Amino acid sequence: MEYVSPFDERRRAAEPLAPRPADLSGARVALLDITKRRGDEFLDRIEELLHSRGAQTFRVVKEIFSKPAGPEIVRRIADRGDLAVEGLAD
Amino acid sequence: MTAPAVTAPEFSLPSVAGGPVRLADLCDHGPALVLFVSEECPTCVLTLHRLAPVISELSAAGMRVAAVFEDPLEVAARVARRTGFPGVVLSEPAPYEVSRAYSLESLPTAVLIDRDGRERGRVVGWDAAGLRTLLSMPVADEPPLRKPGCAAKNTYDPEELRRLDGAGHDELEEMFEREWTDGLPVIPPTPERVEAMLGRRDASRLLGEMAPAMARVTLERVAACAVLAGCRPEYFPVVVAAVEAVLEPAFNVGGQAVTTQPCGQVLVVNGPVREAIGLNGAVGALGPGWRANMTIGRALRLVVSLTGGGFPGRLDRSTLGNPGKVAMCFAEDEEVSPWEPLHLSRGFSESSSVVTVLGADAPLSISDHRSTSPLELARVLGEAAAATWSPNWWPLGGVSLFVICPEHARSFSEWRWSKDRVREEMFSAVSRPARELRWGETTPQVNAADEDQLICKWSSPEDIMIVVAGGEAGRYSAVFGPCLGMNTEPISKEVQWNT
Repeated sequence: MEYVSPFDERRRAAEPLAPRPADLSGARVALLDITKRRGDEFLDRIEELLHSRGAQTFRVVKEIFSKPAGPEIVRRIADRGDLAVEGLAD
Repeated sequence: MTAPAVTAPEFSLPSVAGGPVRLADLCDHGPALVLFVSEECPTCVLTLHRLAPVISELSAAGMRVAAVFEDPLEVAARVARRTGFPGVVLSEPAPYEVSRAYSLESLPTAVLIDRDGRERGRVVGWDAAGLRTLLSMPVADEPPLRKPGCAAKNTYDPEELRRLDGAGHDELEEMFEREWTDGLPVIPPTPERVEAMLGRRDASRLLGEMAPAMARVTLERVAACAVLAGCRPEYFPVVVAAVEAVLEPAFNVGGQAVTTQPCGQVLVVNGPVREAIGLNGAVGALGPGWRANMTIGRALRLVVSLTGGGFPGRLDRSTLGNPGKVAMCFAEDEEVSPWEPLHLSRGFSESSSVVTVLGADAPLSISDHRSTSPLELARVLGEAAAATWSPNWWPLGGVSLFVICPEHARSFSEWRWSKDRVREEMFSAVSRPARELRWGETTPQVNAADEDQLICKWSSPEDIMIVVAGGEAGRYSAVFGPCLGMNTEPISKEVQWNT
């Protein structure tokens, strides 16, 4: 029996991971705060650890955790950063 | 009838009562009568009908009776129910090895097996006299007294078997197997039904992409969901408008689809389309009983959970869920309301038909049969919502939808209160000093305020949305608490119908 599927049947190929840097010295790291409670505390500690390894950091904040990062956020991270760290959940 | 005292082959087959049943289980206290049957064989159905009345007597005499169907379990269950067969009901899957082990040639075949597991005799086809002798008990003696059956499926060639398996297929069960459901039965979306739903619309029209699956929501997929939900084609314009509404970025359907919150999507419909499609805004408006209400709400939820990928327990992580996640669609009773209808307040013309969609929790009922002034009634309605989301989460920071019942609305009207007045008084009535709200889950505004500063439950009267619906008798209104943390806004879309 033939049916009309309610699904978008496209299958997407997995995106390859970006190459991992050998060390963090001089790397520019975006810290993405999604605005979940206490996510900033987590990123504060990550920032300390990154600085101790010679990385530079900058913060990017989403409008709200429950919406996808808009294209302008993604562009800012891609333009300025070599790496990104995102703090998810509570 | 023959009576070779050979050992009957052991078997273990799934039972409609749950779990497998072995021959040894059937014979553990006495003899067993095993009836091999199939749904497709009229003589088998006749035999099940005719034996049904004597099975209690056989049981009383210590004999277990089991029907082994050469059919899937759900088919076996259906035939047993229709024929009133009260014995054990088992299903033998292809390639019918049990039937082969019993050297069956045709169905029905009744095999009597003693307590020691030896075959004591068998009767092939419907044979009243043969069964009477086999069972030592009178069986139905009305005509036909003899009737041959059909070939047993273990005798078919494999190609024929595959073809028949397809013929015995239950498309409603297939929908469950495909997981094209919310857990309730659905209407299979055949191309003919989807075409009828679409009418002359362009099936490939893209309404947008829906998170979390980032699926392309085409009109054809929406139509498939509307068919699955049980919509009639005349409901489809309302479904389409609702899907367009939830696809607005400001609605944030993706966040609502996956959150641990219990939020569902509530649809309020205004305008002439309500009457044209029989959408209920009167007695029982928020409950079951009306096809348009149930299936339009369900169609939207199927688009969100199937097409959009927010399926409960998978990417939808709602801790408890809520019945509104099945379907929640109702009409405003504009004819009974003393106030302007919702769509006018939202900038549409009176003659237009509009669907307004909100992300919301389950409704909370508010009983008030005693208030003697409009202020008292407004306060009751507002205070009922004081504990929504969390008792000390003030202000909510989202829209609450109040469904005012006709008797409450009539009281406000008799006191000459406008809808705006009701909203403003509800807003003002529900406030607390910050110090009373500083426990449990509370807001940054409460923590930052002076101890005696009054905090309101809502940020402004505009966060109180009012519609009128419900039966003419009974003083029960309701409030849908908001969906927070989503930055969601109610969205209204005009229904393109009658064009």
